[in-house]
Amino acid sequence: MDRRNFLKAVGVVSGTAVLTSCGVDKGTEKIIPYLIPPEEDVYPGKPLLVSSTCTECPANCGVQVKVHDKMYRGERGLFPTKLEGLSGHPVNDGALCMRGQASLMRLYHPDRIKRPLVRDASGNFRVATWQEAYQKIRDSLESNRKAGRKNIYLSGKTTATLAQLIADFCRQLGIERVPEYEAFSHAAVKEANRLLFGRREVPHYRIQAADFLLTLGADIFETFLSPVNLAVQFARARERGLVWFHLEPHVSLTGVQTTRRLSIKPKSEIYLLAYLFHWLIAKGAVKYRLPAEVSQAVPYFHRDEVLQETGLSGAKLDELLEAFRRAENPLLIAGNVATAQEWGLEVAVLAGLIQWMTGMTDSVVDFSRAEDASAVGDLRDVQRLVNLLSRNQVGVLFLARTNPVQTLPRELEFGQRLHGANLVVGLSDVLDDTVRQCDVILPLSHTLEAWGDSEPRRGVFNLIQPAMEKQYDTRSEGEILLQLLEAAGKPVPTTDYHQYLIGQWNQRFSPEQMAELQENGFLELPVKAVKVKLNFPALRAFLRKPRKFRPVEGPVLVVTPSIRSYDGRSRLLPLMEEIPDPLSTISYGEWITVSENLAENLQLKNGDEIEVVLEEMVLRKPVFIQKLMPTNLLAIQRDLLEELPLTIDPNSGEAIIVREGVRVQRTGKHIPLPVLAGSMSGQEGRGILPEEMHHGGDHESEHEKIANNPPHEHKDYRWGMAVDLESCIGCNACSAACYVENNIPLVGAEEHLKGREMSWIRIEPYYVGEETMEFLPMMCQQCDNAPCEPVCPVYAAYHNPEGLNAQVYNRCVGTRYCSNNCPYKVRRFNWFDHRLPEPLDKMYNPEVSVRERGVMEKCTFCIQRIRSAKDTARDEGRKVADGEVVPACAQTCPTNAIVFGNLLDKNSAVYKLAHSSRQYRVLEELGTEPAVHYLGKEPKGEV
Amino acid sequence: MRIIGKVIIASLFLLFVGLVVLKGYSWQQNRKTPPQPIQFSHEIHVKKVGLSCQFCHTTVEKSTFAGIPSLQKCMTCHEKVATDRPEIQKLTRFWKDGTPIPWNRVYRIPVRNHVYFSHKRHVKAGVECATCHGNVEVMPVMKRQRELQMGWCVSCHRANNAPDDCLTCHK
Repeated sequence: MDRRNFLKAVGVVSGTAVLTSCGVDKGTEKIIPYLIPPEEDVYPGKPLLVSSTCTECPANCGVQVKVHDKMYRGERGLFPTKLEGLSGHPVNDGALCMRGQASLMRLYHPDRIKRPLVRDASGNFRVATWQEAYQKIRDSLESNRKAGRKNIYLSGKTTATLAQLIADFCRQLGIERVPEYEAFSHAAVKEANRLLFGRREVPHYRIQAADFLLTLGADIFETFLSPVNLAVQFARARERGLVWFHLEPHVSLTGVQTTRRLSIKPKSEIYLLAYLFHWLIAKGAVKYRLPAEVSQAVPYFHRDEVLQETGLSGAKLDELLEAFRRAENPLLIAGNVATAQEWGLEVAVLAGLIQWMTGMTDSVVDFSRAEDASAVGDLRDVQRLVNLLSRNQVGVLFLARTNPVQTLPRELEFGQRLHGANLVVGLSDVLDDTVRQCDVILPLSHTLEAWGDSEPRRGVFNLIQPAMEKQYDTRSEGEILLQLLEAAGKPVPTTDYHQYLIGQWNQRFSPEQMAELQENGFLELPVKAVKVKLNFPALRAFLRKPRKFRPVEGPVLVVTPSIRSYDGRSRLLPLMEEIPDPLSTISYGEWITVSENLAENLQLKNGDEIEVVLEEMVLRKPVFIQKLMPTNLLAIQRDLLEELPLTIDPNSGEAIIVREGVRVQRTGKHIPLPVLAGSMSGQEGRGILPEEMHHGGDHESEHEKIANNPPHEHKDYRWGMAVDLESCIGCNACSAACYVENNIPLVGAEEHLKGREMSWIRIEPYYVGEETMEFLPMMCQQCDNAPCEPVCPVYAAYHNPEGLNAQVYNRCVGTRYCSNNCPYKVRRFNWFDHRLPEPLDKMYNPEVSVRERGVMEKCTFCIQRIRSAKDTARDEGRKVADGEVVPACAQTCPTNAIVFGNLLDKNSAVYKLAHSSRQYRVLEELGTEPAVHYLGKEPKGEV
Repeated sequence: MRIIGKVIIASLFLLFVGLVVLKGYSWQQNRKTPPQPIQFSHEIHVKKVGLSCQFCHTTVEKSTFAGIPSLQKCMTCHEKVATDRPEIQKLTRFWKDGTPIPWNRVYRIPVRNHVYFSHKRHVKAGVECATCHGNVEVMPVMKRQRELQMGWCVSCHRANNAPDDCLTCHK
């Protein structure tokens, strides 16, 4: 055979071989029924709703878990796919923050610890059985007790039954239960309240009952106490015309939403409060009189001195004072940066004194419903533990649900000191910095896999119930403690924590209350009224101590909390890096925020690296220039730091986050930062926010409207949305909810640097004037006269009879014409397949398709929810009622800024808002006729 | 030599074509009647025993999915009934081993990821099961009757005045 024929033969033969091997299994997809169906009324197409509690942060919001019966990698099962706030819950009333929305990613995190681990002689972890681990702990507890060393239990904030069980466990086994550790312990506020009223607690602040709010440093929308609750309350108070002043040295998300954001010099809060104190007394604007010797002991500063030290203008100070005096129900909250500084305790004491004197403690500052933080200690307690550790006096150290290695100030050197303990036992759900250093790791079940309860604040009792089977060989902390007690030969009623809980609940609650707890997922319990009394001797003793206040010198570094990761704990949730920081709009990466003057002095652009030297610590990070930041100020979010340059306030045990004596210089390096706001938060005269638009003249008449399409007729529904910019606080909860609901891909840093983020709804921050920013949630505007539709060559983008700009994914060929023609930049293109890695892909919502590479996607107004509501309505032979369709973004919004509904229904909430006097539409002059109506902010005039 | 070579090539080519045809046919058959782990007969259950569709496909009237019965449901009868048949013994083995039956899907919407289909809506609108699934009571082996292509769906929707907006089905 010649070469030519040989090749022909080879071609034919190999072709046949290829052909016979292909298509064998194609088309034979598996369909797996249950062996035994689940007891609950759940089947594919009908999700199960389970009430439980979000434990991503100590606020413990009530949640409703949506559980889908679906196939996952060839297995049939029940999978939680979405968390939503529990409607009517006293903490969050249906809302949930972005961390809560993303917390499903903790449940399915690839770093979940799957089985007990024990460190062997070579220092490596090996898999152990539970019995082995218990044995090791039991033996070590005993030998250390005999050797005279202390066994210690340290945990994060714990409430309700688990707190009692830990106490019981420690008592029975002779373990010392040291005060709980939380990075945000509110130590100064608690110390001040102990001193003033003998109550070491943080009260519940009833913003909803106030008409005037003065916040000093407290970042109530980000991490302070219970951010969702405070935001929910803010929305209620705002409707009744709340006037709100916020004072802070740096720029926080909370600050920019207020009526007046006053920038004051770092550490100068004391001057202002002392002045306010004496001014209120002088004006007689007090309810309770203080003895002269007490009021005289509060330092008095002259007005000029106050103005100079705080940097406030006289007019602003007067405006603040008058607004305070005029208010019927004023509320003052001091916290975070105002109390976490050298004179933080003085600030907290003065704030408490003013609260008492003006009668706030009788109404809006509620100690009877204290945010239960009394078992949480402060850094002085941690210092004591560190001392014991460095003297090798600790035997077994339990570390439960806490990550002190990451979150404690660097000067405590907790990571190194940890090895002073004989045996460190870590209880955690994921591998974190602390657990990695432990000798025995006991994997905890996630809250959504276990039974439990919690008491977020006095009088609120939450049920924690599992929404899925355990995925790994994990146990809940309650189970572990009961089983350890049993292993140590102590009597326990049961080793099943669920049974134990039922026993405890039956003791505590009546059958009616039990039924209510089951039904609602939470209980509101009666609380004893608390009338606080001022402890004069303690106060006098405190005021007698001379304190010298001095002006701050040189650049100051503020180490701020982070809305995306709380104290750093949520940074491991991939979604919390994909969604940008609300103020800077930086998603991935680490940066230091600097003021404009500092950037000018050092000739810095965004992304230029600087070196910050603070004592012996050196930080090198790129900068982000924040226009609102005052002179000589630098700020960095604490979760971006490997070691925290914080010191400890010896008076209160608070971590001091305002650091002076900083030296700054540029390194010459440039590190690109993904700043997602394309125009650096400038409006560039586009009139995106109404104020500028109205001031800038009548745009409507300047442009001739171009009709791309003939006007559309809508028969039954014309879906529309109203977004109240007065209510939007820029918290990005909507964005997180949207990501989870709609299976939006996470694309990572590299793509973000190319401007290829995928969010369907984003929060755009814009500078307004010299002092503040405003937020605008931007999603597909579902235009009536949509520029995207006529340019699609394959009719993948088209106008649906209900007014939606539909996008048919499997018709889309990826020309990206629609995106190029969209003036709102809301269409997102899948440049690659970005599927969630295993096992995170368990959270995919089966009601929404997972888009693949080469396809354009965008906000659908949650078409799956519209479809589901229409389905129910049709079953009942009626039309969809107002409020029946709630998109994921509107559902989770703590301030109800987003309202959705049918614009053809004149009685609908959205119709009314769309015809409000504040209504405007973004880039209306283009003639796109958007279905998203914004309600502009009233200009902030006189208050 | 050259002739022999040509004959070889020609016969190989014919073999190739033959294989293509055979393969294509068997593939098509396989897709229509995929082999099942148990030879379940709709004919026996519907025609002889007289079970209604909803007896096993319990959620067909209330959900998007019709539902496949759990093994427990099969065993309520087959604990006692026809236990001597080899196929029922297979069933019992699955039950005893505690493994669900890995049925092979017969009906599949071509781009299922992007399509929303509700059994409930169609049943409630009075569409007979047989319209899509054929007369299963005469099928000892389940065989796909329709390819569920979009054109077929749309023609039926239009004929019956059902909505033909893309978003009715596309998700």
